Amino acid sequence: MTVQTPVDPAALRDEVKSKYREVATNPHGSYHFHTGRRLARRLGYDDAVVDAMPDGAVESFAGVANPFALRALQRAEKVVDAGSGAGFDCFVAAQQVGPEGRVAGVDMLPEMLDRSRTAAAQMGLRHVEFREGLIEDMPIEDGWADVVVSNGVINLCADKRRAFEEIWRVLRPGGWLQFADIANGKPVPEAAVANIDLWTA
Amino acid sequence: MLQEIGFGAIRIGDAVDTFGDAGGEKNARQFEVYGYPFLAQKPG
Repeated sequence: MTVQTPVDPAALRDEVKSKYREVATNPHGSYHFHTGRRLARRLGYDDAVVDAMPDGAVESFAGVANPFALRALQRAEKVVDAGSGAGFDCFVAAQQVGPEGRVAGVDMLPEMLDRSRTAAAQMGLRHVEFREGLIEDMPIEDGWADVVVSNGVINLCADKRRAFEEIWRVLRPGGWLQFADIANGKPVPEAAVANIDLWTA
Repeated sequence: MLQEIGFGAIRIGDAVDTFGDAGGEKNARQFEVYGYPFLAQKPG
């Protein structure tokens, strides 16, 4: 089935890749959003958890809210982070589910995957892994996840229904979707919605 | 959209001023853009 989207999905994906490749390789650059420890504090993450992480696990964090605010993860849960970026939310999840749980981060950017894998190794986290893939087509088997988390990623997908349907596929019956994202209180003009540059500006 | 796909137990948490004091604050303020936590469950 062909789904009409406000912008070309491939072109938007290229724009997003360009922006977040920059965040991965230059986390202290100047962006239109906050990053790193300062952002984590602003979004209400537990200071003790964040303070315990090495800089490499935090400095490229670019989420928009706290996906653990409405429900804490349970011990031994299996968790997918859809669009895991530099891995920050995977490391928070790893702490909550404990070593008997599993955390799989999925991201499309090799630069982010390099960062997250390096940080996971530095932290000695053996129950966390990172896989390359798109949120619309995740390399996760049907019904594997007890929980899917995501942070600031779905708003960057041109076809949001496709993203949610994919999350539905990887969740087990009774599983939870807990995600953070942005929403606008005032309508955005059609011309602005169709302008790819504004999706990441 | 979440309901259409089949999710239930949907909750939306408190808004957070994601972009306050950041470079993109002007656009965020213009359209009242804030971050929110969302929760939903796939029925068992």
